[in-house]
Amino acid sequence: MFALALTNGLVIGIVYALTALGVSLVVGIMNVINFAHGEFYILAGYFSYLFAHTLGMDPLAAMLIAVAGVFVLGLVVEYTLIRPTYGDDMYSLILTFILSIVLQSIYLLVFGPYPNKPPGWVKGATDIFGLFFYGNQRLAALGAGVAVIALFFAMLKLTWFGRMIRAASQDREMAELNGIDTTRLNMFGFGLGCALAAAAGVILAPVFPVTPTAGTPIALTAFVCVVLGGMGSMSGCVLGGLVLGVVENLGAAYVSTGYKHLFMFLILILVLLIRPAGLFGRREA
Amino acid sequence: MLTIEGVDVFRGETQVLWGIDLTVADAERVAILGSNGAGKSSLMAAITGLLVPRKGTVRLRERSLTGLKPHQITHLGIALVPEGRRVYKGMSVRENLEMGAFPRRGRPRLKETLDRVLNLFPALGRRMNQGAGTLSGGEQQMLAIGRALMSRPELLLIDELSLGLAPRVTKEIYAALDGLGAETTVLLVEQNVELALKHSGRAYIVESGRITGQGRSTDLMNDPNIRRAYLGM
Repeated sequence: MFALALTNGLVIGIVYALTALGVSLVVGIMNVINFAHGEFYILAGYFSYLFAHTLGMDPLAAMLIAVAGVFVLGLVVEYTLIRPTYGDDMYSLILTFILSIVLQSIYLLVFGPYPNKPPGWVKGATDIFGLFFYGNQRLAALGAGVAVIALFFAMLKLTWFGRMIRAASQDREMAELNGIDTTRLNMFGFGLGCALAAAAGVILAPVFPVTPTAGTPIALTAFVCVVLGGMGSMSGCVLGGLVLGVVENLGAAYVSTGYKHLFMFLILILVLLIRPAGLFGRREA
Repeated sequence: MLTIEGVDVFRGETQVLWGIDLTVADAERVAILGSNGAGKSSLMAAITGLLVPRKGTVRLRERSLTGLKPHQITHLGIALVPEGRRVYKGMSVRENLEMGAFPRRGRPRLKETLDRVLNLFPALGRRMNQGAGTLSGGEQQMLAIGRALMSRPELLLIDELSLGLAPRVTKEIYAALDGLGAETTVLLVEQNVELALKHSGRAYIVESGRITGQGRSTDLMNDPNIRRAYLGM
């Protein structure tokens, strides 16, 4: 039972980490907390369901188009809703909160309250070291999540865009003085943040179907990951996601599934008591 | 190269600069002197576009900088070494320098410029892969200057180079700057008046947001009023 819960935890944890990276990215670059983050996750799930199931596209192509679609929507949201609010973080907080409610209502109208599930990429199950059989779809989700996270970190480290993001996250004004158009960087950073949520969405939707309101707990968990890992630390964010995923599933296996979210906050409170800046967070001087 | 005419600058609703006139010619070294809060840094901010003048013009080679964003001004060839250095502490020395070469004018010549910067500050070469946050204050200042030079600026603005540095380190950095050559014009803000006059050809004196004096640095050095007010002699 331990090994199974651990594996479950890792699968979910990777997806949490992926979602949380999007939050962390947007907070880092533009100091905006996107309350509609979970709704972008859900939208990607719906998109991939729509393209793959209803239009009969190849699941992989459907996923890629879904992520690209959410990325573009992210750009539009930044341009229309977030950009006019720069200088007052409270407005963007309220606006994205409203956006999340609006999106949830649209999903309810369009897709109905029922869970929707895009087709799986693989079938069957694999014998894990003779301990238990594990669904191939979940293993594939784990692999895909790891791959996207690795790609994201490589992008941060190796490309000009990645360096721009890191520079602007550390000192926005200095980045602007180094010739970076931070207004445009905001737009693409926000789009990329939404695309990370979308990637998590398309990866996990074949395992956990999407419903109109399923984005709220996802976003909540992502915020907890970010705080747990330490604001502004991308690797802390990944660790935070994995810790939450594993703790949640071990707790569910050994104590009760009903307390799933309680474990998450227990961990958060414990970590913040000992390290107020989070696991990898640095205290501002 | 740089012409500032009748510039009024506000921070919020508070006016900090009144009718500033200032010119910097090609290959010149100009210092701006003044005490704390005189408006020296605000003047820098007005040139780099961080503060937008309410009145007057700032021009770089006959091109008005009015209405341009800071990043556009950087692309035109002005680079700032900010007060407090502000290196990207979470990035390596190499990455910091590469960020400096981000503008189009710097990127194609990145390798060549990097060699020149490392030649100027050999201490940085030994720490290329170290995090910038682990450097000493002096090394961070070298890095901040190196980063600014990486964009191949025509005009280098240096804000409070000596602040918080040991005199020996400051001397070393100023000596390196003297070796920059005529390609880079320098406008520097400095609280240490003696140092500033020693390393500049001409200087302006700013008091309470107004320019109250100017002249050749050697003349100012011998001016009894200046000596009394700023050099304590």
